[in-house]
Amino acid sequence: MSTPIRDAMASADVLITVGSGGVGKTTVAATLALRAAMEGTGSMVCTIDPAKRLANALGLEALGNKEARIPAETFAAAGLSPRAPMYAMMLDIKRSWDELVERRAPADKREKILNNRFYQALSTALAGSQEYIAMEKMWELHGQAKYPLLVVDTPPTAHALDFLDAPNRILDFLDNDAAKWLLTPALAAGKFGLKLFNLGGSYVAKTIARFTGTETLQQLADFMLNITSLTESFRERAHQTRSLLQAPTTAFVLVTGPMPERLDEAVYFHTLLQQNKMRVAAVVVNRIHAPVPAALWDEVARMSGPLQAKLEQTLKENDLLATQDAKGIERLRELCAPTPLVLVPRFELDVHDLKGVWETSRYLWGDAQVDAAKATR
Amino acid sequence: MNPALLDKRLLIVTGKGGVGKTTIATALALESARSGKRTLICEVNTKERVTQLLGKPEAGPTVTSLEENLWAVNVRPEEAMREYALMVLKFESIYSAVFENRVVRYFLRFIPSLQELVLLGKILFHLKEKRPDGSFRFDRVIIDAPATGHAITFLSVPQVIVDTVPPGAMSTDAQWMRDLLVDAKTTAVVLVSLPEELPVNETLELHQALKDRVKLTSQLVVLNGFIPTRFTDAELAAEQSSLVFDTMRAHQARSKLSLASLQTLEKLGLPVQLVPRIFNGEFGRSAIEQVVAKLSGADA
Repeated sequence: MSTPIRDAMASADVLITVGSGGVGKTTVAATLALRAAMEGTGSMVCTIDPAKRLANALGLEALGNKEARIPAETFAAAGLSPRAPMYAMMLDIKRSWDELVERRAPADKREKILNNRFYQALSTALAGSQEYIAMEKMWELHGQAKYPLLVVDTPPTAHALDFLDAPNRILDFLDNDAAKWLLTPALAAGKFGLKLFNLGGSYVAKTIARFTGTETLQQLADFMLNITSLTESFRERAHQTRSLLQAPTTAFVLVTGPMPERLDEAVYFHTLLQQNKMRVAAVVVNRIHAPVPAALWDEVARMSGPLQAKLEQTLKENDLLATQDAKGIERLRELCAPTPLVLVPRFELDVHDLKGVWETSRYLWGDAQVDAAKATR
Repeated sequence: MNPALLDKRLLIVTGKGGVGKTTIATALALESARSGKRTLICEVNTKERVTQLLGKPEAGPTVTSLEENLWAVNVRPEEAMREYALMVLKFESIYSAVFENRVVRYFLRFIPSLQELVLLGKILFHLKEKRPDGSFRFDRVIIDAPATGHAITFLSVPQVIVDTVPPGAMSTDAQWMRDLLVDAKTTAVVLVSLPEELPVNETLELHQALKDRVKLTSQLVVLNGFIPTRFTDAELAAEQSSLVFDTMRAHQARSKLSLASLQTLEKLGLPVQLVPRIFNGEFGRSAIEQVVAKLSGADA
C-alpha cells in the first residue's frame, strides 16, 4: 500500500518536521523514527527541546548532543520489538556552537572567538542561532551516514523564515561586501584592535557610534577579524545545507493542528517551503476531534432526566469541535494541494510514552484512519 | 480585571505555543479598555491576529485606534529601527544619509540583539509616552509576547546588552528598559497555560526561567480551556451503554486532567484564573467576548 509517509520514507534519508509550537511536532518526529526502526530502517531522531516525559520515554535524560540508542528493554516495556536500532539526540545549542568553533577555527583564533562577547551573544541569544545550529547538526549527522533515516525536529519557530534563512543569515554576517570593505585594511595590516573609524569615513562611523558606542564597534570589528577565519567553512556549509534541504532525498513533514488559528500559519509555511523548492511529503494534521456517531445521538435522545441534558451538552460540544476540525481540514486540503494530508486523531491523553508514539504511528503509516465520513461532511 | 493585575501598567502575556496567548492578551486588553484605562495591545513582529479576533482592519506597525480606549500595534523591526534611529539622531536627513547606507545597515543588522532591543524599545517607549497635559498616553500596555523560548530570549535582551555592550546610546536604553521590566510595581507577567501535561510543565519551567534569567516575577497564571467536572463516578458506574459510557469517561478524563493541572499550577503560589473552554463555532469577536466575561466574572 502506498501512503504519503511510506513513500516519503522509501525515497528520503532525511525527514524534517516543521511547524509552529504546540502542535505535537516533536511527537511526530519521534513517531517517524520509531516507525522506521519498526519497519527495519535504522533511525535517528534529533530534537531540540522535547517535553520531559517524551525525552524520558526515548531514554534522553539530559541535553548534551549525545547519541543515545533506545534500549531494547524500553521497547519491550511498550510491547515493541523494532527490527532496526533507533537512536535519539537532544541538541545543546551553546555546546554545538562551541564545538563548531573548536573544530573549524585555527588554533590561535579559537580562544579569542570563544571569549568574545559578541560570539557569546551569537551562540546563545541571537535569534536564528538555534535554527542555524540545528541545520549544522543535520548536515553533520547526515555526513556520518550512520543512520539510514535521519529525522530532524526543528525549533518551534515564530517565523518560518528564521529556519530556512538561518544558514544564509550567518553567511551574510560573515561574508558581506560591506564587512570586507570595512575590514580589508585591517586584515592587510594583520592586527587587531584597529581603529575602525579611521576606515569607513568618519561621518558614517561617528553616526553609528552614537548608537552603539565606539567601543562596541571596536569589539565587533575584533570579532569579525577573528571569525573571518571561519568564513570559508561557513560559506561552504551554508551552500551544502541548502542543497541538502532541496535534495530529492530530503522531505519535509509539516505538522499542524486542525484549529482555525493554526491553519494560516501552516499554509504560509507550506507556501514558503514550496517557493524554496523544498519537498513537502505531507501535512500532518494532529489531534483531530472524532465525530459523534449517529448511534450515540440516538441513544442519548432516548434517555431522560439531568444525565441526558449533560450528555446532550457533551455531544453538542464534541460535534462542534469535530465540525470545526472538518472545516479546517477541508480548507487546508484546498490551500496545500496537491500535498497530501495525513490525519491523526486526538487521543484521550497526551502522547508521551512509546506506546502512544506507536499508536500515533499507525495513523501516520496508514494502518489506521480517522473516520473520514465526518471529515468530509 | 484580576486583582493581581489591577495596578500594573505593563502586562506581558506569554506561555507555550498554542495555549491561547493572543486570545487571553486580547481579552485582557478589551477588559482593560472597558474599565476606562487607555490600553495599547502590542503584537511582536508576527502575523497579526489581535485585530482579526476583534473583527477590525489590520493595524500594522502604526499605533491604531480600534475602539474606545483601545489601540493596537504590530511592532516590526524595520519601522521600529527607523523610529529608534530618529529618536537618537533627531534628524530625518541624517537618518536617510546614514541609515540608508549599506555598510551601516549591515552593521545594524548584526549587532547582536539590536533588532529585539528596538522592538522592545518601541513598546516600552509607548509605556513612558506622555500627552501634552503630562498624563500618560496609555494607562496600560499589553504585550502579546512570543512563546516560551523566544520570550525568554526577547525579554532578556536588555539585560544581555547591559552585560555585553559598552556604554553608548544602546546600552543606556537597554538599562532603562531592563529597569522597567523588572519593576514589579509596573510590570506583571501573565503565564497562559492549558490543562494538559506538557503545557503545565512548561509553565512551571517558564516561571522559573523568567525569575532566574530575566528577574521577572509572574503575577498571574491563566489556565485556559478548563473543563469543569460534569459526570460523577456514580453516573459512570451505573451506565449500561458502552457508547455513552465512553463519552462520559472521555469527558471525565479531561476534567480530571483539568483539575490535576490546576493543582500543579497552584504550587507556584500565584493566583490561577480559570477560563473554561469556550465552545463557539467561529473563533472571533464573540469568542473573545465570552473570554472577557469569564475573566471579569472572577472579580466578583
